[in-house]
Amino acid sequence: MIFRHFMTSVNESNAFILACEETREAILIDVGAFEPEIEEFLREGRLRLAKVFITHDHYDHTNGLVEVRDKYRPEIYAGRALCAGVKAIRVDHGDTIPIGQLTGTVLDTSGHTPEARSLYVPGMVFTGDALFAGSVGGTASQAAAEQQLDLIRRHIFTLPPETEIHTGHGPSSTVAIESRYNPFFVGEA
Amino acid sequence: MREPTFPIDDREALLEAIRAGKARGVRLPRVDLSGCDLRGVDLSEARLSGANLSGADLSHANLRMAFLDEANLRGAQLCNADLEFAVLGGADLSEADFSGANLQRANLVGVVAHRAIFRGARMYYSRPGNADFRGALLERADIQRAIFRRANLAGANLRETTGSANFEKANLEGTVR
Repeated sequence: MIFRHFMTSVNESNAFILACEETREAILIDVGAFEPEIEEFLREGRLRLAKVFITHDHYDHTNGLVEVRDKYRPEIYAGRALCAGVKAIRVDHGDTIPIGQLTGTVLDTSGHTPEARSLYVPGMVFTGDALFAGSVGGTASQAAAEQQLDLIRRHIFTLPPETEIHTGHGPSSTVAIESRYNPFFVGEA
Repeated sequence: MREPTFPIDDREALLEAIRAGKARGVRLPRVDLSGCDLRGVDLSEARLSGANLSGADLSHANLRMAFLDEANLRGAQLCNADLEFAVLGGADLSEADFSGANLQRANLVGVVAHRAIFRGARMYYSRPGNADFRGALLERADIQRAIFRRANLAGANLRETTGSANFEKANLEGTVR
């Protein structure tokens, strides 16, 4: 598995490339900006950007989507059928996305936005703004906050503990760390 | 990330590979490098989860986006090391020295950092939630946007820190400011 992290110039959001070593097929997870480093990584690695997965439709995760669509014509997957004005394939909890010989599984982590989705590939999960290292995403209501915590407990914290968590902003983490120490889950009334 | 192409149970061979720059992005979980001289090595993006690095000298090392979760770094030297985006969650950093280190956007969730030294460290947007900084020295550290939610900073020295951090529900009893 090929993996690379990028921090974009739009609100310091993260973007990730995940690719299959055998087929060179790649998926881009979020694209706050289509930075030259991303294009360079794809070109130098001789990777074919076949897919884009959007964790949620906020500008700092989608601002480069039109550019990527126009350049690579990838399949675009998201929790809603229209993302930043771009047509997407709507995915829900349990749907799978092939990435060469790898398989991504979509997880429902709604709360930060109503259609927020995470993508799990054995060994790592991409959570967007649902779950951060030591924090969680902001929500519009108490009900959405409770939904988000519940879905994280059920869909993320049940993954193998060594699973790496790659988030929409800031550092990565693991399921073990967040389930043991994240202050929004440990010691809160 | 890659699997190692060198033996990891042979300490000397492992050290040689690391010093030769062959360990970047390599999976090296739970290796024992305690007390080793690792000054200036490139371990960026390496997976060192649960590794024993107690007493090691990692001054000026490149540990960008390395996974050091639940590693033992007790008494280690990390002066001026680059730990941007590094994952240190759950690690034991007690009495380690991070003076001048780049800890921007580092994951420090749940670390134990008793009497650790962060003098002049850059901790912008780091995540030290639920961490134990009792007696730690953070003098002149840049803590802008760091999230110390529920951290225990009892007796820590925060004199001349710069930037605005989140100390929601943190224990600040006896801190020096």
